[in-house]
Amino acid sequence: MATVNYVAASRVYAKDAPPAVDALNLDISDGEFMVLVGPSGSGKTTALRMLAGLEPLDGGRVEIEGRDVTWIPPKDRDIAMVFQNYALYPQKTVADNMGFALKMQGVHKEERLRRVREAARLLDLDDNLLDRKPRQLSGGQRQRVAMGRAIVREPKVFLMDEPLSNLDAKLRVQTRAQIAELQRRLGITTVYVTHDQVEAMTMGNRVAVLSNGHLQQVDTPRNLYDNPVNQFVAGFIGSPAMNLQTVPLTDGGVQVGGSTLPLPPAIRRTAADAGLKELVLGIRPEHLHLANGSGDLTGDVVLVEELGADSLLHVRLAGESSQVVARAEGRKPPVPGQQVKFHVEPEDVFAFHPDTGARLAG
Amino acid sequence: MTAPAAPAPAAAPARVTTKPARRPRMRELSGQVGWGIVAWVVGIAFFLPVLWMVLTAFKPESAAETWPPQFVFRPTLAEFRLVFAGWGPFVTHSIIATVVSTLLVLLLGVPAAYALSVRPVKRWRDGLFFFISTKMLPIVAAIGPLYVIALKTHLLDTIWVLIILYTAMNLPLAIWMIRSFMLEVPGELLEAARLDGAGQIREISSVILPVISPGLVSTALICVIFAWNELFLALNLTVTNAATLPMFLISSVPQEGLYIAHLSAAATVASIPVILVGWIAQRSLVRGLSMGAIK
Amino acid sequence: MAVLETGAASTPQVGIQPRAASRRERWLRRLPLLPALIYVIVVTQIPFLVTLYYSFQNYFWNQPGGATFNGFSNYSTVFTSSAFRGALVRSVIMTASAVIVAMILGVAFAVLLDRKFLGRGVVRTLIITPFLVMPAAAALVWAGPMLDPNFGLVNYLLQPFGVHHVAWLSTFPLLSVIAVMIWQWTPFMTLIVLAGLQGQPPETLEAAKVDGAGALATFRELTLPHLRPYIELGILLGSIYLVNVFDQVRLMTNGGPGTATTNLPFYLYQQVNYAFDVGGAAATGVVTVILTIIVATFALRMFARVFQFEGADA
Repeated sequence: MATVNYVAASRVYAKDAPPAVDALNLDISDGEFMVLVGPSGSGKTTALRMLAGLEPLDGGRVEIEGRDVTWIPPKDRDIAMVFQNYALYPQKTVADNMGFALKMQGVHKEERLRRVREAARLLDLDDNLLDRKPRQLSGGQRQRVAMGRAIVREPKVFLMDEPLSNLDAKLRVQTRAQIAELQRRLGITTVYVTHDQVEAMTMGNRVAVLSNGHLQQVDTPRNLYDNPVNQFVAGFIGSPAMNLQTVPLTDGGVQVGGSTLPLPPAIRRTAADAGLKELVLGIRPEHLHLANGSGDLTGDVVLVEELGADSLLHVRLAGESSQVVARAEGRKPPVPGQQVKFHVEPEDVFAFHPDTGARLAG
Repeated sequence: MTAPAAPAPAAAPARVTTKPARRPRMRELSGQVGWGIVAWVVGIAFFLPVLWMVLTAFKPESAAETWPPQFVFRPTLAEFRLVFAGWGPFVTHSIIATVVSTLLVLLLGVPAAYALSVRPVKRWRDGLFFFISTKMLPIVAAIGPLYVIALKTHLLDTIWVLIILYTAMNLPLAIWMIRSFMLEVPGELLEAARLDGAGQIREISSVILPVISPGLVSTALICVIFAWNELFLALNLTVTNAATLPMFLISSVPQEGLYIAHLSAAATVASIPVILVGWIAQRSLVRGLSMGAIK
Repeated sequence: MAVLETGAASTPQVGIQPRAASRRERWLRRLPLLPALIYVIVVTQIPFLVTLYYSFQNYFWNQPGGATFNGFSNYSTVFTSSAFRGALVRSVIMTASAVIVAMILGVAFAVLLDRKFLGRGVVRTLIITPFLVMPAAAALVWAGPMLDPNFGLVNYLLQPFGVHHVAWLSTFPLLSVIAVMIWQWTPFMTLIVLAGLQGQPPETLEAAKVDGAGALATFRELTLPHLRPYIELGILLGSIYLVNVFDQVRLMTNGGPGTATTNLPFYLYQQVNYAFDVGGAAATGVVTVILTIIVATFALRMFARVFQFEGADA
């Protein structure tokens, strides 16, 4: 059972500086694909390196399979890591790169070669690549060698640090699926770090969203999308991002876009209890439905981005200086300059506390 | 269901409350300290002869040739005074030969390096190899004929023979180093300059030289070191009118009598300029020796 | 429906070559190189040609009559001279041992300096200093205050190890001279190797940690292969300078006792200054040059990697 636990794990780089990772509590079950996602500086890579043993902990502990590994060196943790820049050994052949860890463990040459070949086959790496040096390979091939190096070890935990970020867009989409499928097949607990929320949503069993060293929310992708616990998660997950705007409260709802948008009573009650005069309103682009005739919001189209199947409308709402993005289906979107009206279902509306960002629950 | 979430991303960070484990830090620290001790021992051992040289320079002759060697004594500047009384022409010649030859090296070397890197000639490999090959041929082999040539051209025992030869001696290494520094200039910078209408000369002076100026400093430093310290050519081709500091040093060893303290003082004075310059511009020197020579 | 095959769109032109640079372009490129090139050719090749000329002459300073042609007689003297052979052997021994030991120490010191510790910058400064000291000064200081049997520091420091008043320069002349050569050139090797060490991508070292390699294994499997071009460069450059070492020989032992420390540079010096034999010195010089070329060609072939110049292929 290769579970992974972060127990109040912390890392501070300088005295009196804000912690890079602040008392992280995270439990990962055996065989789970856990994605750590967040903007740069969120602490996700630091957290991964703490699990790897490449960063010391300044507080708390890390456990693998229930065992406290906080002070155990990387090589004794039975983990394998794929680095962002692959970190392949430049003077060694592909085969030697992949077999290096086994060599360190004292595995015999024939056995090493057998396992290397197996891993190569799993990753679609041609046999004739095995004798080449990393500098002779393409970016995608190098990435697969880096993965192969990790797979060959059959470790308890896979650690991956943004392994797709150096690939071009098309290759990234392809490889993303391959990695997810590979993990499913091998069933090895995986901790995967990325700044790309699309990767996080498509690959992870569960996703942990971090910001400034703090864990914001850990949940399935679907739940993160439908039930973000705060403004940060709401705005981070989903592309294009949720429309967020601070709006004043009025009777029955909020004042926005030239009219009053009705809010569900539960939200209004929570806001009143907190004594708020305004709150942050969140509406996802696909929840702004183009309405012919009457609608809740009015605005002028500034820009239309055609995506093929649908399009994104950038609209300046009446009386507001900022813009919202709406997703419009159909073959004939409005044109720039055109006035449009939107209808919003009350239950699609999110509301957040203007100071703490916490979700004002319904 | 949503797992318990941390507080919202407000500005105030939570305090790190759990106690950091202290155990392995001890091992880490003691390993570091042990390493440091070994390094210091090595450093001091290597530096010891220099320290001894400087120390002995302050001794009166009577205290310089004792057994056991003295570490505590009454320091005197007598030997230094003697050295400074006699070194005048020698140090002047050394300075002139070193500075002028280094300037010449830079003057000739920068364009040559340019023609072997940024806008290379077709057979730049051969060019580079030729320059290096001149260093491989020992100058000693030609010393007899060099003397004859110097004699016949009336350059014998003049500062110019040294300047000319030191320049030739340092050019190959200088070209190699400057070239590798030029190769580090980002291509985009040069392209932007060309788009802005810069010709070759402007390209060199306005774009390349400023960027590689630290590299030029290290190259100049290395040339200064080799020129200042050079003995063989000075010994063979100069007598009195252009004798340099190394020659002065040799003359401080008389046929008889006590001389160790005087010798140490002369050695210290002769070496101090380069040592000080090397220490101060250490980073530059290290960069030159290691990075400049690598590519 | 094949719209493609008929080749109506574009017929490939046969034999397109990259545009050759015009004559003017080529000369413009050569121009900056010319001053340095001409200068070096004049200053180094002319003396060499004159050396070649004199090598076929019988020319003694101290004898009247100037130079007279004597064919290959100087050369046969060189090849039959045991003095020359001795000097050659000693040059090889001195250079090889100094280079090898300096490089081994250089690697060791570079590894030491690569880790952080208190006062690292100071230690580095201390280690660099021998390279900065004037070789003539180093030679005289080592010969006197350091190695003298009666008042030398070395004898004093080695006393606890049972060493008593050893006359280093007369008993172990070759060792003494080589030791000073090593002392002065180890910093050079150290700096080159240190640059190599610091150029190692840290991620690769982390990957090795995760892959289970301890410090020794990492050094053997990753660091040494990475350092190879640096080590080769250090050996090559070091050899070039060390084979020409003169100052220490002249000032510490004057080539002796006897000829115990006479290397090629010193032998040539003797021929010119004591035997006044310009012709003989010239022939010796030419032979030395030829030998150097042979060795250098071998070395270059072995160390081909060092000369893989990148860039500048435009």
